[in-house]
Amino acid sequence: MTALTKLTNRFTEADIDSEIVIMRLDNGEFFSLSGTSAATWRLIDGSRNRDNVLAALTDQFEGAGREIDRDLDAFLRELRETGLLAE
Amino acid sequence: MSAHKSAAEATIEREMRVMYGDAPKTLSDQPLGEMCWQMLGDSFLLRGEGHHYFHYRKGEGITVDRGPNADLSEESLWLDGSVYAAVASINGLLPIHASAVAHNGLVFAFTGPAGAGKSTLVAALGKLGLPMFCDDTLVLDLSDPDRIFCLPGHKRLKLRPDAVRLVGTTPLEAVSKSVDKVYASPSGGDVSHPLPLGELVFLETGVQPVVEPIIGAERFVRTEDNHQNAWLFTGARRLDPPAQFAHRARLAQQIRMARFCRPMDHARFQEGVALAAQYVRNGAQQ
Repeated sequence: MTALTKLTNRFTEADIDSEIVIMRLDNGEFFSLSGTSAATWRLIDGSRNRDNVLAALTDQFEGAGREIDRDLDAFLRELRETGLLAE
Repeated sequence: MSAHKSAAEATIEREMRVMYGDAPKTLSDQPLGEMCWQMLGDSFLLRGEGHHYFHYRKGEGITVDRGPNADLSEESLWLDGSVYAAVASINGLLPIHASAVAHNGLVFAFTGPAGAGKSTLVAALGKLGLPMFCDDTLVLDLSDPDRIFCLPGHKRLKLRPDAVRLVGTTPLEAVSKSVDKVYASPSGGDVSHPLPLGELVFLETGVQPVVEPIIGAERFVRTEDNHQNAWLFTGARRLDPPAQFAHRARLAQQIRMARFCRPMDHARFQEGVALAAQYVRNGAQQ
């Protein structure tokens, strides 16, 4: 399984408190990430694949249950559709 | 109190020097309408009523051209308002639409749209002993990457007649023929030296008076400013979208923010003022 890679030339980002604000450079659209989505975004560092990210999230969010698996896939799909994550 | 002016104060003082004479009538190939402005590079041109022009070029100061039908009673308002904001912006300072008090070496600024009660609140906080830092425009010095400083206000306190009655202050002279406001003296005195920004508080209406911190990405959202001052800054700095993002992110990261909700009910005005004063005196979110 290949490592998850952000398309860093397509966005700029800033940490504000525990949240993250991202701006797409092609259209100026903003996103904000908090909670598990912010944690997921931080874990995508070019070295972890999907399963590594899931394992780290499961450690961080003990008791989050089975839905974290499903939520991660939905979030990764969204990032790819938005053009922020390599296919 | 510092005996020396900061670099930002010295810049503003130097750049705001006023001369009288001929000014250009446009900075482009289009004529400039009354009550409109243009910005081109380090130059700014404002036209007031009639043929009343205010031209600024960085390093050269301001030239006021009093042509036919110029309304001289408005001149100081133009100079202290849009011209000052443009000069600040061209010189790297950020003017925001806010009135502020000072406490314990920090500035507590209140912002909101016209009519939100910024000046009224600052006047009322003055009655409770908090000195005014500025009225209507707060100029931020961003030159220290680690901390945002505020320049002391350059405008006198202006209040609408109903605000004078609400606050219980003494009205002074009328602001101008066309503006339904009077000048007033801040009861708590004022501050004449730069101070760090302590907190930016957004004035909102609500059922009960309450102050709540604004955290996370909402602070970034709150940096979107549709006031003319923000347009002047963006125009002057010629920021591309990534630079604008970085500018807003810095403000969001470094400025503590809160919302102050209170009913717009004169009978409960003092209740809200007391809460705001307590919030400031407690050091806000410290």
